[in-house]
Amino acid sequence: MSQRSHYELPIWLNWIKDASGWLLPILLIAFWDIAARNGWITSKILPAPSDIVHAAINLSLSGEIFKNILISTKRAAGGLLIGGSIGLVLGLINGIFRPADRYLDTTIQMIRNVPHLALIPLVIIWFGIGEEGKVFLVALGVFFPIYANTHHGIKMADPQLLEMGRVYDLNHWQLFTQIIFPSALPSILVGLRYALGFMWLTLIVAETIATTSGIGYMAMNAREFMQTDVVVLAILIYALLGKLADTAAHFLELKLLQWHPNFRHS
Amino acid sequence: MSNQNLNIRKEPPTYQASNDVKHKMKVEQKVNQKSTSGIAIQIENLSKSFGDINVLENLNLDIKPGSFVAIVGRSGCGKSTLLRLISGLDQANVGSIYYDGNQHNSINGDARFMFQESRLLPWQSVINNVRLGLKKAEFPKALNALKQVGLEARADVWPSVLSGGQRQRVALARSLVHEPRLLLLDEPLGALDALTRIEMQNLIERLWRELGFTAILVTHDIFEAVALADRVILLNEGKVDLDINIDIPRPRQRSDVELNRLAEEILQRILTRPVTS
Repeated sequence: MSQRSHYELPIWLNWIKDASGWLLPILLIAFWDIAARNGWITSKILPAPSDIVHAAINLSLSGEIFKNILISTKRAAGGLLIGGSIGLVLGLINGIFRPADRYLDTTIQMIRNVPHLALIPLVIIWFGIGEEGKVFLVALGVFFPIYANTHHGIKMADPQLLEMGRVYDLNHWQLFTQIIFPSALPSILVGLRYALGFMWLTLIVAETIATTSGIGYMAMNAREFMQTDVVVLAILIYALLGKLADTAAHFLELKLLQWHPNFRHS
Repeated sequence: MSNQNLNIRKEPPTYQASNDVKHKMKVEQKVNQKSTSGIAIQIENLSKSFGDINVLENLNLDIKPGSFVAIVGRSGCGKSTLLRLISGLDQANVGSIYYDGNQHNSINGDARFMFQESRLLPWQSVINNVRLGLKKAEFPKALNALKQVGLEARADVWPSVLSGGQRQRVALARSLVHEPRLLLLDEPLGALDALTRIEMQNLIERLWRELGFTAILVTHDIFEAVALADRVILLNEGKVDLDINIDIPRPRQRSDVELNRLAEEILQRILTRPVTS
């Protein structure tokens, strides 16, 4: 057996393998820095990475950056919580109860086809430029992916397993918790990952149009003073927050779908 | 003596087990126990049709408590439909089914059904699959049931890592944990390889003899039917075409002349019937 142990890579090669996803971004940044330093790109178009780091340090020292990140995260989380739970509950109800599906699904599909960002003027009239309008837009943005995927997941529940549940005298609640919900969970989590994308997208747009705080505001404010370094920094923060949210969702998948061969890590 | 005991324990259900007198006596005692725990089934004037196709026509059957009945026939002969009607999973158009003299309408705890697919919940560990439908206080039974099918070591793995035969053994344990008085088997070995099939047949026969439930097996494998059952019923176009008792003493040898003769007879009978539909 020991003779057949497979060839092992040296440790540093393994590190490179693990970090291979980061290779391209690092190269791009290096090229960008060189281009900016040599004046191939003016700093008004795109500042050098070192300038952006500088801006990040300054804004961190003043505490402004953290204040804005906190506010944006609160809006995102609030919208996700409200829109996500309504989407989940409606998806479950419409997936399980046929009459509810008949009455509600058509309406929901109609509203879904209205781009929710088109509602911004109306939302400003309704809520002003306060927090409610942004949370409302985010909630609307995350509602549909979670609703549609929950609905779909429930419909995909294996009729053979449901029949088996009947043989084992499971009551309606047990059928739901033991068979229907776990069947739908992979699909619900796909919905969550889509929703997280919509969450940041909606927030970015909402914060650049009508607001007095948040990362989007920080970027728009900097634009007025031609501080491209802060604008790029804001974009990078969005990217980072988006990546963080996606990683959290992926972690949730690994945790909740351990039974699924596709999600098993050996 | 101790050597013999060991021998019996290791391979009690196999067809090559010894013809030791003591062993026979033990089996007879179990046969006596059986009659108290298996369900007697009466089927009266049973008919079932899907659209204008009559799947079962005016069927009458009496099944003795604790017996092992195999139902065979061509695909589409109505054997699976009959099993589903007996279980109460589907309802007949006409006729009645009685469990111990009481009319039976819907599936209940007395009867358990094994499907061709294992139908394990992929998101539950093996042991939790066996616990399905049990109350908390009854959980220890689940491990015992897993021991009966020889899978207690795999209690905590996901079903997806098991082989097809192991999954069906878990499904069998899940059925038996409820101590059913009637076990309905709808081609549960149909998808298994030949060697695993033989092992599963031995396991099902052993547990049937130990636990004394009534067993009804639907199968397309005539030899399996004859090797396992007390009685083989051949269905053709929704009617009983042949109904024979298999009186070959247990444990049965797979090479038994009479067993092979009966299997051949039934097979010839099926083959002489014209294929309709």
